[in-house]
Amino acid sequence: MANINPKFGEALKEYGGINFNACYNCGNCTAVCSLSTPEDSFPREMVRLSVLGLEDDLKSSLKPWLCYYCGECTTHCPQTANPGELMMSLRRWLTAKYDWTGLSGLLYKSLPLSIIAFVLTAFGVIAFAFYESFNLETIIHFGHYFEMIAIGAVFTFILLPNIIRMWWFVILKPKIQVSFSTYVKSIGELIVHMFTQKRSLGCDDNQVRWFEHLILVLGYLALLFTTVFLDWFSSQNLFIIILGYVESVVVFVVTFDFMSSRIKKKKEINKFSQPSDWFFVIWLFLMGLTAFIVRVFIDLNILETNSWIYLLHLTVLVQWAIIIVPFGKWTHFLYRSFAMYFAKVQELSAQLKK
Amino acid sequence: MEKKKIGVYVCHCGGNISDYVDVEKVRQAIEDEGGVMLAKTTMFACSDSNQKDMVEDIKNNNLNGIVVASCSPKLHLTTFRNVSERADLNKYNYVHANIREQVSWAHSDDKTGATEKAIHIVKAAIAKARLSESLVPNKIMAEKAVAVIGSGVAGMKAAIALSDKDCPVFLIEREFFIGGRVSQWGAMFTTNETGKEVVTRLYNDLVKRSNVTIFTGAEVVSNVGSIGDFKLKVKITPRYVKEKCDQGKLQLAMDACPVVVPDEFNFNITNRKAIYHNFPSEYPQAAVIDMKNCTRCGKCETLCDNIDFSLKEEILDIQVGSVLMATGFDPYTPHDGEFGYNEIGNVVTLPQFKRIIELNDKDLMFKGTKVKNIAYIYCVGSRQPEGGNTYCSRYCCTSAIHASLLVKKKYPSVYNYHFTRGIRTYGKQESLYYDSSAQGDIYLQAYEDALPEVSWNGKKSIVKINDILTGGREMKVEADLVVLVTGMVPRADNSVGTLFKLPKGRDKFFNEIHMKLRPVETFIDGVTIAGACQGPKNIMESANSALSAATKSYSYVSKGELETEPIVAVVDPVLCTWCGACAKACPFDAISMTKDGTKAIALINNSVCKGCGMCLPVCPKDAIDLIAFSNNEIESMIDALAHD
Repeated sequence: MANINPKFGEALKEYGGINFNACYNCGNCTAVCSLSTPEDSFPREMVRLSVLGLEDDLKSSLKPWLCYYCGECTTHCPQTANPGELMMSLRRWLTAKYDWTGLSGLLYKSLPLSIIAFVLTAFGVIAFAFYESFNLETIIHFGHYFEMIAIGAVFTFILLPNIIRMWWFVILKPKIQVSFSTYVKSIGELIVHMFTQKRSLGCDDNQVRWFEHLILVLGYLALLFTTVFLDWFSSQNLFIIILGYVESVVVFVVTFDFMSSRIKKKKEINKFSQPSDWFFVIWLFLMGLTAFIVRVFIDLNILETNSWIYLLHLTVLVQWAIIIVPFGKWTHFLYRSFAMYFAKVQELSAQLKK
Repeated sequence: MEKKKIGVYVCHCGGNISDYVDVEKVRQAIEDEGGVMLAKTTMFACSDSNQKDMVEDIKNNNLNGIVVASCSPKLHLTTFRNVSERADLNKYNYVHANIREQVSWAHSDDKTGATEKAIHIVKAAIAKARLSESLVPNKIMAEKAVAVIGSGVAGMKAAIALSDKDCPVFLIEREFFIGGRVSQWGAMFTTNETGKEVVTRLYNDLVKRSNVTIFTGAEVVSNVGSIGDFKLKVKITPRYVKEKCDQGKLQLAMDACPVVVPDEFNFNITNRKAIYHNFPSEYPQAAVIDMKNCTRCGKCETLCDNIDFSLKEEILDIQVGSVLMATGFDPYTPHDGEFGYNEIGNVVTLPQFKRIIELNDKDLMFKGTKVKNIAYIYCVGSRQPEGGNTYCSRYCCTSAIHASLLVKKKYPSVYNYHFTRGIRTYGKQESLYYDSSAQGDIYLQAYEDALPEVSWNGKKSIVKINDILTGGREMKVEADLVVLVTGMVPRADNSVGTLFKLPKGRDKFFNEIHMKLRPVETFIDGVTIAGACQGPKNIMESANSALSAATKSYSYVSKGELETEPIVAVVDPVLCTWCGACAKACPFDAISMTKDGTKAIALINNSVCKGCGMCLPVCPKDAIDLIAFSNNEIESMIDALAHD
């Protein structure tokens, strides 16, 4: 028997849930949702579980990740209960629950804490530069290594354990019997959704957003690869230089469009922005832009006299790598694709059971 | 009696009649009947052109009896009576023959037989027309005054409306304080005015009016008479406390009173003394001694010189033309064990809960415990399975939700859980439902076959439900207070209704004649009903019905004279020996005994008799006849029908 816990609803509001209590269970949201199916029916069920505060049910649910926030549900809600934003806030809440450090939750809930984290990391970078007597070559060298180390460390110590926790919540704890071959068979799902976001094409009129998102993901990953492994800032290879330019332009142009949509608030998806949403787009934008300018300065041979731009780039990069990637919105890249993977695993296991 | 000149019209009704009945053959068969002066067929008797022709025929031929053989009298009796009147012929000389519903539609398989039957029916109608008489409506005097029984919101609203029309009003209240149930409520939906404010406004308006007389502690104990002339006896119980009284001394007397009884005003959640006020500014502003509980110890008398036990009951005689009933409702009282009521300590009813919110101050306390989680169980005493109260009490969803908003506003840390069977906050009240959901109240829902269950775990009440909004999953709440959202039931003591022989519906509330078309009239002429004595209503609905009933009651008395149907029973004083059988058979109490010289005979009250004819067959002496349906008329019709 489930105990009703109205305090959960209050907690969820700190993650951006808006007015979902007003739901009177008409189910219009589920009826208009183009991704909801009889087997995986949402968002009403998620709204109901949130209102009642059935935390365990929510923690083991993958449904929040199955939604790509087209906003149709919110448009058609007769009670202005914002089911779309509820799904978004559940994703933030789940991210916090998956994170073993608990830092994600703190940063989602507290803007001052986030600002303190950003300021501290900025101070760290400046202190390091000061320690190195603002020697640009050393700092660039360090920046390059920092990226490699940060990727490895964040993945090993934060993201991998968190994915395992997610696995625990959704497969192991609910005692779903899964054979090894099922895990292998489902792996395709993980790759496809990680790199293409194929499912979001199922949302009505979502082709443009899907395409923007796709080239942003590819541009971002390629830029990461180009700077870390092809060493863009030190490369003399014309192809690599141009490649880096194209990638960084893709990153800051697309994120600029995302930012302006959030300011214009024309679509449901852009009407409510939490600090974590702003940090994500702004930092990605700054990263693309500063990387671009740094390389321009290198090509114009004026970087030596304008080392501040690289320091700025490095600051953005450090904040991105140790705040936003492990504890911020970046993780949705992983959790979404893994959710799709686990959903496939659950589905295949259920079929086998039959 | 002048010789009858009868006009007969046989209608085709398009083809509805003539497709099965040979209309021309019918006409030929009756044209030579005694008294028939003209016989015609017509395509549509009810058409404007035919009506005009009829008027011409009546005038030109001095007809004094009319028969139309057409459809059911339900459809067109009035139409053709009106035709007679337009031709200056008394409408009771018109006789209707139904050869559509009773002939053509019923016998479409047998055209010869149908025609034969139609001829008989028309002949019978002609036979009645031969004996028809011109009748005039009975006129009775009507006393221009109305008694309003019950001074809740409905009664007070009605009294004000009648007073506005210059009609003297007697407002009769059984309790010692006016205001009825509404005075017991704190803030109310949807205006958030308190019951006290509403009652104060109405009372202040009433006391200014010289044509309104208010009686409290007053009960109607007998009624003689009928529409236009009700003679009521009203028993007035004294308060035993003078109205203008030293408040300080009175307080001493109240403190000294040793009798402690549950306070009905607070639905028994608090106690009061035998000498009491309802609240500091109740109306009238005078304390009262409740003699049912007073032990006559005399302590109060020694402390307060305004107490006077020598006051006596009085009986007043009141004469009015109409009675307006606004006796209100009782909140449903759950039976012991119904959702834990009277068995689990923290289970209360909605009216009690409303008093609890009103009476608590800083913290919401109940029986010494701080209340944090409140479970509301809806539809208690309403929408019960067959055998119980199957009706919806209309006000309770909104009232419970409004209470949950109030309690959350006063005590923000409280959580509300609503165990519903579907929410009915109709009309403008819907916004309250939104507000309550939006503030975080939790709504759960069950069907009537699996209602929530309340149990006690030693500390709190556990309320369980299989929530149909969550796929039937079993949910539970640990509640500090369980509020049973009780509906409305008729007043436990509705004897005043019995006094007037007011009919009740299946729900035991007083019944109107027609829900939609005659919503405030009753089958007892001259008695109207308003407010929740007729069925569950919220205050707006009660006020609306009060204004309607006031208008209707006024229409009975406004002219000082009333017309009633002339079709009534008449007694032959020679034949009647007063056995009383007719009086027993009469459903309207229209028959009483009177003396004709020294002989006891039956007397028909023309203003009450409905002409139903129930008294005729029970009379062993055949001494009663019914005007317009006399034995002569009916027998002549039977003769016509039975004759080959």
